[in-house]
Amino acid sequence: MGHLSPRLNHLRQALVGLDPTLGPGLHEPERALRLNVPGIDAALSGGLARGAVHEFAPAAPIHLTSATGFAIALAALAGREQGETLWIAPDFAVMESGGPYGPGLGLFGLPAARLLVLRVPRSIDALWAMEEALRCRALAGVIAELAEDSIADLTATRRLVLAARESGGMGFLLRHRASGVPSAAATRWTIAASPSRPDRYGGIGRAAFDLSLVKNRRGPTGRWTITWDQHERTFQTAVSLAVAETAFDRPDRTPSVRTG
Amino acid sequence: MAEADPEADRRMLENIADWCDRYTPLVGLDPPDGLVLDVTGCAHLFGGEAALCRDLVARLARQGFRARLAVADTVGAAWGVARYGTPGVIAKDETAAAVLPLPIAALRVEPDIVTALATSGLKCVSDLACRPRAPLAARFGKGLVLRLDQALGRADEPITPRLPVPDAMAEQRFHEPIAREDDVLGTVEHLARQLAIVLERRGEGARLIGLALFRTDGKVHRLEIGTGAPLRDAARVRKLFEERLAVLGDACDPGFGFDMIRLSALVTERSDPAQTGLAGPDHAEDLAHLIDRLGARFGLRRVSRLVPQDTHIPEFAVIAVPAHGICGALAAPSLVDQDTLSVTRPLRLFEWPEQVEVMAQVPDGPPIRFRWRHVLHDVAVVEGPERIAIEWWRDDRGNKLTRDYFRVENRLGMRAWLYREGLYGRETPQPNWYLHGLFA
Repeated sequence: MGHLSPRLNHLRQALVGLDPTLGPGLHEPERALRLNVPGIDAALSGGLARGAVHEFAPAAPIHLTSATGFAIALAALAGREQGETLWIAPDFAVMESGGPYGPGLGLFGLPAARLLVLRVPRSIDALWAMEEALRCRALAGVIAELAEDSIADLTATRRLVLAARESGGMGFLLRHRASGVPSAAATRWTIAASPSRPDRYGGIGRAAFDLSLVKNRRGPTGRWTITWDQHERTFQTAVSLAVAETAFDRPDRTPSVRTG
Repeated sequence: MAEADPEADRRMLENIADWCDRYTPLVGLDPPDGLVLDVTGCAHLFGGEAALCRDLVARLARQGFRARLAVADTVGAAWGVARYGTPGVIAKDETAAAVLPLPIAALRVEPDIVTALATSGLKCVSDLACRPRAPLAARFGKGLVLRLDQALGRADEPITPRLPVPDAMAEQRFHEPIAREDDVLGTVEHLARQLAIVLERRGEGARLIGLALFRTDGKVHRLEIGTGAPLRDAARVRKLFEERLAVLGDACDPGFGFDMIRLSALVTERSDPAQTGLAGPDHAEDLAHLIDRLGARFGLRRVSRLVPQDTHIPEFAVIAVPAHGICGALAAPSLVDQDTLSVTRPLRLFEWPEQVEVMAQVPDGPPIRFRWRHVLHDVAVVEGPERIAIEWWRDDRGNKLTRDYFRVENRLGMRAWLYREGLYGRETPQPNWYLHGLFA
């Protein structure tokens, strides 16, 4: 958008603010990462902004892996099947919640060959490394895990945002706990695992996420349940929340076969 | 009074050897109390051999050491003269004249040989030099003749340097010591530029760069930086050392300042100039530099790539290999790819599987409920078992139990990868359950 006059730019932003559905048309396609879930893309005015930092946190500690999966899938989409992704993990986070596992990453579209892993001794080092990595244009995405939430405050995240804006890279800040600390991130998501719809054979179906967009600089917030299709490498809208919730009433040993 | 401490003496000698590195990169230890320096081609930098000696003795004296010093054509002659003769510089053709009047002990031979020779009336080197060699060798061993030849320059004697001798190096001395980090880094960049000229002429780049910071009080800090690709760019070299210094902090204390800084290319590799494409910037080099920088800051082993292995054991199926040196083109072996595509694997794997309490209807059945980290989870859906037997060649810890893996989903949608260790009744009467990983 650099070639547009600032005034025009400002007007467009104002329009998007008034009606988020106008978003996709107003933003250049490569400036945003589309999730291909219409509701979410509309709320994000076209998709997840590139050259920005996005925050993810689990709704409860047991949902951390779901938050990880969502962030990984987005980083993989951002790489467009070729860019490299850097995963920064403090030692404590790996000990506490396990480390990234190669074969599993492939299911979220990020083959191990396109991933670099950096283990850092302290959380504060993760922030430093993330800022450094965001400046590097060779990386499609940078994921940093933070076991402590207080260190990534407004100042720290603003540095990350500036670095990302400079290079056009995407930063994914994966907090281990949902935090109220203000931050400069473009979006903030709270993610919970959602019971999957069993597949045809009664086994565990596609990974399902219960997403809450709790902060959005470019539009409204919202809540969606989506699934990840590992074969198509794309997100899909899940059945409505009400249907998914019936799973709670299912007796323990009932064969979990349902239609639809 | 103090106890003799040979270890501490040796460390002290090594420290002095480190410091002597400022005169020549070829410094050898001669325990318990000697150092051997090869100053061939270095002496003119200090105003000649005599000036070098004066400088060395004076600087050592300032640090509180007394030294006896001799410069000679051979190691043997210098050794003997420094200990038994008049210390100083022995001119090129005066080696024999200087060595011959010395006592036999000056030849670096065993004390019992010296005593044996003395009882036969042979007291100084000249007594030996004029005798026939064969009887000497037969009576006192070949070592004596060899030492005699080495002292007189008839036999070759190499110096074993303490540190690897760099392929190329550049150094800077200061009249006034410098202590500020900016100054040090500026010097590093300046030296790297000089080094780059030498390396470029040879068509090489450095893979391992050493930086030696000589403190005025004699301490020497040595830092080494490895790079993923041959490197010549001075600005990048500076950046790498900047990261390293930032981590070291107080460990690299400048004290009263550094009076000499040396940058050396310890390992070099061929590096041909690459044609840049017109299509757009190629980021491979940027990435290699980022890996180097992160490696300089956190250690090269901490930046890794996950490389699939040809095994079914989950914790060995992928290993982390330092990314340093592996270029982005590394492709996963296709064989392993086919294997892993068919099965679902967790996103996060625990290094150490965590033990869980599991309730199952029958001992070898799937779990119904499990307790992990004090929380009880009801299993809603279960898939499994997937049986993975430990390969027989991996039983070094006596751990040969077969594992039955289950993918489970609890009521909330959390998915975990549990396994039962040991086949019920056949391998163990009471199998334990573990949580090995988590799915998204």
